[in-house]
Amino acid sequence: QYTDKDFFTNDANTTLAVNAAYTSATFTDASSNALWVLGDVASDDAIKGGSAGDQADFQLINDFNINPNNSAVEAVWKRYFQGVFTCNVVTDGLSGNTPGISATVKAQALAQAKFLRAYYYFILTTAYGNIPLHLKVETPTEAQKPVSTQAVIYAQIEKDCTEAAADLPTSWSGADLGRATKGAALALLAKTYLFEQKWALAASTAKAVEDLNVYSLLPVFADNFRAATKNNAEAVFTVWHQSGLTPYQGNNLNQWFAPRTLNGYGFFYPTQSLVDNFEKSPGGVDDPRLDYTVARAGHPYFDSAFDPTWTSTGYLSKKDCQPLSEIPATIKGDGNLNYPAIRFADVLLIEAEALNESGNSAAALVPLNKVRKRARESYLYDNTLPGFGTVPAGLLPDITTTDQGSLRDIIRKERRSELALEFHRFFDVIRYGQAYAQSALSDVPLFNYNKNKFFPIPQSERDANPKLGL
Amino acid sequence: LLHVSAAVRSQEKLNLTVKDVKLEKFLDLLEKKSSYTFLYSNGAVRGNSVSIDAKDVTVPQLLGTALKNTGLAFRILQNNLIVITKSSAPPAADLNIKGHVVDSKGEPLPGATIAIKNGASITQTDVNGNFTATVPDNTVLVVSYIGYKTQEVETAGRSEITITLIEDAGNLNEVIVTGYGTQRKKDLTGAVSVISTKDLAGIPVGGVAQIIQGKAAGVTVTQNTGAPGAGIAVQVRGLNTINGITPLYVVDGVPVTDGISQLAPDDIENINILKDASSAAIYGARAAGGVVIITTKHGAQGKAKLSFNAYTGVQSATHLIKMADNAQYVSAYNTAARNDGRPIISDSLARTLSDVNWLKELLRPAPITNINLSVSGGNETSNYIVSGNVFSQNGLIQNSSYRRYNLRTAINSNPTKYLKFGTNINLSYEKNRQVGSSGDGYTGAAASVVRYALFRTPGTPVYGANGQFVDLPKQDAVLGNFLGDGINPIQLAANTDNNNYNYTVLGNVFGELTPVKNLRIRSDLGLDLIFTDYKQFYGTYGADRHFNTPSSLAQSHNQNLNYNWTNTATYDLNLDKHALTFIAGTEIIQRQMQGISASRTNYVNQTPPFQYLDNGALTGLLNGGGESSRSLSSFFGRINYQYNNKYLASFNYRWDASSVLDPQNRSKSVYSGSLGWRIDQEDFMKDIKPISSLKLRVDVGQLGNEQSLGYYPYLSLLGGTSFYPFNGVTNQGYTINSIGNPKITWEVTTQEDIGLDIGLFNNALQVTADYYIKNTNNVLLPYPMPSSAGQANVPFINAGKVRDQGFELDISYRGKINNDWNFSLNGNLATEKNTVVSLADAPVINAGRIDNNIFATRTAVGHPIGSFFLLQQEGIFQNAQQVFTHAYQGPGIRPGDVMYKDVNGDGVINQDDRVYAGSAIPKLTYGLTAAVSYKNFDLSAFFQGVYGNKLYDQVNTELEGFYRPFNITEATATQSWSGPGTSNSMPLLSWSDAANNKQASTRFLESGSYLKLKNLQLGYKLGKDALKVLGMSSVRIFVSGQNLLTFTKYKGLDPELYTNDNNAGDGVKAVGIDWGTYPSAKIFTAGINANF
Repeated sequence: QYTDKDFFTNDANTTLAVNAAYTSATFTDASSNALWVLGDVASDDAIKGGSAGDQADFQLINDFNINPNNSAVEAVWKRYFQGVFTCNVVTDGLSGNTPGISATVKAQALAQAKFLRAYYYFILTTAYGNIPLHLKVETPTEAQKPVSTQAVIYAQIEKDCTEAAADLPTSWSGADLGRATKGAALALLAKTYLFEQKWALAASTAKAVEDLNVYSLLPVFADNFRAATKNNAEAVFTVWHQSGLTPYQGNNLNQWFAPRTLNGYGFFYPTQSLVDNFEKSPGGVDDPRLDYTVARAGHPYFDSAFDPTWTSTGYLSKKDCQPLSEIPATIKGDGNLNYPAIRFADVLLIEAEALNESGNSAAALVPLNKVRKRARESYLYDNTLPGFGTVPAGLLPDITTTDQGSLRDIIRKERRSELALEFHRFFDVIRYGQAYAQSALSDVPLFNYNKNKFFPIPQSERDANPKLGL
Repeated sequence: LLHVSAAVRSQEKLNLTVKDVKLEKFLDLLEKKSSYTFLYSNGAVRGNSVSIDAKDVTVPQLLGTALKNTGLAFRILQNNLIVITKSSAPPAADLNIKGHVVDSKGEPLPGATIAIKNGASITQTDVNGNFTATVPDNTVLVVSYIGYKTQEVETAGRSEITITLIEDAGNLNEVIVTGYGTQRKKDLTGAVSVISTKDLAGIPVGGVAQIIQGKAAGVTVTQNTGAPGAGIAVQVRGLNTINGITPLYVVDGVPVTDGISQLAPDDIENINILKDASSAAIYGARAAGGVVIITTKHGAQGKAKLSFNAYTGVQSATHLIKMADNAQYVSAYNTAARNDGRPIISDSLARTLSDVNWLKELLRPAPITNINLSVSGGNETSNYIVSGNVFSQNGLIQNSSYRRYNLRTAINSNPTKYLKFGTNINLSYEKNRQVGSSGDGYTGAAASVVRYALFRTPGTPVYGANGQFVDLPKQDAVLGNFLGDGINPIQLAANTDNNNYNYTVLGNVFGELTPVKNLRIRSDLGLDLIFTDYKQFYGTYGADRHFNTPSSLAQSHNQNLNYNWTNTATYDLNLDKHALTFIAGTEIIQRQMQGISASRTNYVNQTPPFQYLDNGALTGLLNGGGESSRSLSSFFGRINYQYNNKYLASFNYRWDASSVLDPQNRSKSVYSGSLGWRIDQEDFMKDIKPISSLKLRVDVGQLGNEQSLGYYPYLSLLGGTSFYPFNGVTNQGYTINSIGNPKITWEVTTQEDIGLDIGLFNNALQVTADYYIKNTNNVLLPYPMPSSAGQANVPFINAGKVRDQGFELDISYRGKINNDWNFSLNGNLATEKNTVVSLADAPVINAGRIDNNIFATRTAVGHPIGSFFLLQQEGIFQNAQQVFTHAYQGPGIRPGDVMYKDVNGDGVINQDDRVYAGSAIPKLTYGLTAAVSYKNFDLSAFFQGVYGNKLYDQVNTELEGFYRPFNITEATATQSWSGPGTSNSMPLLSWSDAANNKQASTRFLESGSYLKLKNLQLGYKLGKDALKVLGMSSVRIFVSGQNLLTFTKYKGLDPELYTNDNNAGDGVKAVGIDWGTYPSAKIFTAGINANF
């Protein structure tokens, strides 16, 4: 076995250590990466689903009856901090003089590790608020430390993203497809600024992503969620899964979100509230993204007929799920879909929101309308849609208002529809502030904004870290 | 006055000068200096004295001179026996005696000593147990043999005498095998339990470890589950450490750390367990868990002997849990549905359901057989034994079984007076088929089949109309899964194909040189080679659901080579009243492990002929492998000292250096010392007749434990166990998966022991009592890393302190009512108190996960390791007022719900109200064997029990917790709360209230105390006439019953359980949690022990 003293001696090993840093982001196990629970089950977009009593802790998240022992709270914390640790192994191993390692490999390894560390910290601090900050492989005594404020965490994310962006290439090719890029680092930086309400920086950084000229919206929205179009121009940072590999590296959500009769576990039911968020044309035609996102009665569930008894809300998620023709029931848990962690649409909506908030509402319309245009123009590119070839009249028209308040509501609504069931919603709801959150979660009696805007720091951390300061 | 100058010459000629010596003294002197024995009456000889100054004279010549003018005459009989009588008395008739000495089984005893009462020995028995002697009639002969009670026989005119010697277990001259040497029991200063082979006969258990159970005070043996071949935990004097420790087994001098399942009980001669520091410390860094020294059988001098031992029998389920039948299930379901407002099962629907007793369907009678055949023999210079053994046990559950085949040879030879060589080789093959036996599958190990049988509702039939297994229970449009969606346990067992194979070579060769008298130099080369193979086929099955999709085959092969080279020099020094024994030695122990594993998936043809790796699909191949090694080099020494047979002392030293530690920090020495006082040898004890022996022992010393260290604990290690599919292609990832601590060293236990050995009534009653305190320092603590520091295995630091203390008592009594009736009693008991003294600045350790983030046990300062830490059930809320006035337990609490104690008095029931509620460590362990024999019949009963331990009945949180449509116990169905005053322990039937009611609490904590009649055996020995006809030297036939009776309050299937597949990773920090354990069987066997 390698010891920490003899590992970072050549380029090949360096790459191996960087590879490990990616794995925490995957959904090869939906219960240990419970981001879907914190991001969407907690929100107004989805409920836990499944039978009563099954994964009771996830239901408690749904109900905001959350204690530090909650398994989803523990799982996300452990998984993403393990991600941080794997990054720190790289940054530690490459600190100082490393004679056997070439300068390029070293620079790109460090940059990938810093981007991933920022990605993990971003999820951690948006979920848990003030958290401990670990930047190296620590001795047990060093590892016990008080939480840092969210501002300190954000500052570290900014630093890591900035440094990563400087050394990462704009794109990778061949066997390296899927590694972090300059665009990913900038997009995450823009998102961080957005969450920090540093509007101008958020807008300019999102613009910088656009200006790389490597990203564009796909003509067909649903191609973001199809195995055949995994690596596409809209994927700024995508977490790769691949079916049929050994050991399993497939997307396990495919089984968790599928109905029981298709050998799924039958969790994660979208809510009526989410469905209602999707616009309709004056003629009653739905935003095409609705049926790309949500399965419902009267519409096929991929290549199966939809059975309304599958779900108590009447809806199932389609994102992260695949047709039986692609993934048969026997290998249900080994799905082939990537998780679109940062899509270019997200970047455009960040830009729109940041511009509007910084008082530049007119400019905000440009990125916003790009997103709406792509959505309605599905009718021009997706020949499976009824009435293909013509955009239904009045469907998702360009927004023209420059009233900051109205535009804010429109952008929030747009963001909810565009990024639905991609595990971002709860963090947005909280970010929008108390009034918005209390209203969005008004049907959850136990939800209390000040108490619940962050999930509790898990018991495993409290037990082993006396210096936590809680 | 006596002036002696005597020297023995050839042809027994002496030089002798005595002056005015009493005749008795003179004869004593002659006896010592010559090969003659004198027989006379004191009265006849008294009053005479002798003065002689003679050179080169024979004893008869001397006697002629000495008896001149005394009126005494002498005559010389066979065996140099000289009889002195008054010349005047008429000469008594001399008797030519043919004697035969046998043991209680009728087997001849070669080498027994025949003596005249109050005189010296006159002869010994030959290889066939025969002797001849000529003595005056009416002489009393004294027949003695080591390990047997000495017997007196009056000749009384008989010329043919058969003398049966009774074995004497408590014989103080018994030779005890200690570390790198032997000692007589009377000289021992340490605490050693001795289990001899005769305690082992005919008990139908698979391995040597189970045989120790209940036989030695302070040695706790618990099988993990009742499954054939299940793992066994052996603890000698407590837990020592939170990391778990097993004894060091030394089999014929070869140290073995991987257990002793490969040995056949029939091959064992005796087992000595070194419990205290003084006896174990010579094994240094490996001895803290106690040392179990196993000596296998050897050939004896004499003609070849053929032994055949066999038994066969049938096992059946016992002590089953009473589960609800279909009517009770439906009624309970409907009560809960009414309480919760769900639709109920209609009578018409209920009538369509079956009524299956799943435990009875699952647990079917199964055979057990053991056959052993051995040939042994030897002459003055060599002996040999060859034995073969087959043990075969099927489990009560289909596809679980254990088989073991042994072939053993041992040869010893003394080609010259100075040299001795020997070898022992034990070859074994074990095959263990396993079904899930103890968990719920959470950790990846197969879930317990018994658990599924308990859950399965009676309304679901086993088989469908076409004889196929029923998979998913019946569903209903309104009720949904009203019979649950569990797995058919019979189907699960039928489709389990998990095979584990062990091939071992355990043996040694040794040479011993005695260059000068009292010095022995010995060199041992030992080998313990273990090949472990695993093969499991996961065939796809299931009609409604698809289990094991895609099908797969997993296989692995591990080899574990251990060898030791041990050299010792032993020197005995006797100086007047001082006797010393010095031992010095060196030892090198090496262990090399290698393993490979592979699996394939997608077997197009799933039948056995295709269940090979080659037939799996070429996608989804997986393989792995690794190597590791460790070694230990050591020096050791011991001095035993005794003065005048009264005062005893010993001192031990060992220095060990271990390769698993940082090179800067690799070695350590341990010391121990002990004192003994044989009070019975003191003059003031002479008159206290009932006390035949009395010895006080004290000792103190250190013992190490390097087991917990693992392989490279001082280094941070990277592993390539993560994978990421860049561009859809597997990429391996390496990261740190364990963090090292360069300062790490082994745990050190300091043990103090005080002991008393008492023998009463001629040692018929023997009592050994010991009190010990073990303080273990440097206990390896997993230094808790906050979960934010990543998931790498945390480093260990030497910071904890654990104390074990206990009292042990062994009592044995043997007696006889008359020649036909003999009886014996052997009892032992031990107390154990384990306390965590310090965890340094590490926090408490939660272990024993029973639900997501819910842990049943806690290891904390001031409590035993792995104490249960639970809410305390105070009762059941009987009315709304009680709910209102009691501490707040959460929303929706109503009468009928479980009421928990507000321990901290803050008005809210939460995790802060948990209390330490006992531990799975028994406060008392005991065993009792009672045996009685009448003529040729023998009857023995062996009881074994534990007291004062708790078990967490996790499976009862389902069976009584009733929160989903799975089956429940009959008691839950019929005795649950149904209104004020109806129950104060079992809440109302309600799924929605189960979140409150089935919290981890004392509701599911039960007493684990039990008393089992482990074995009852009736034997009959064939009489002489029958044996003569058969041409055999002894035959005993017997019938035996195992686990016939269990006395316990425990509600589960079997209180005898240890760890389980879910919590095994927590080691001793979480034992005694019952997830639905594979129970032990009741076994009836019949067998034979025959010698040709």
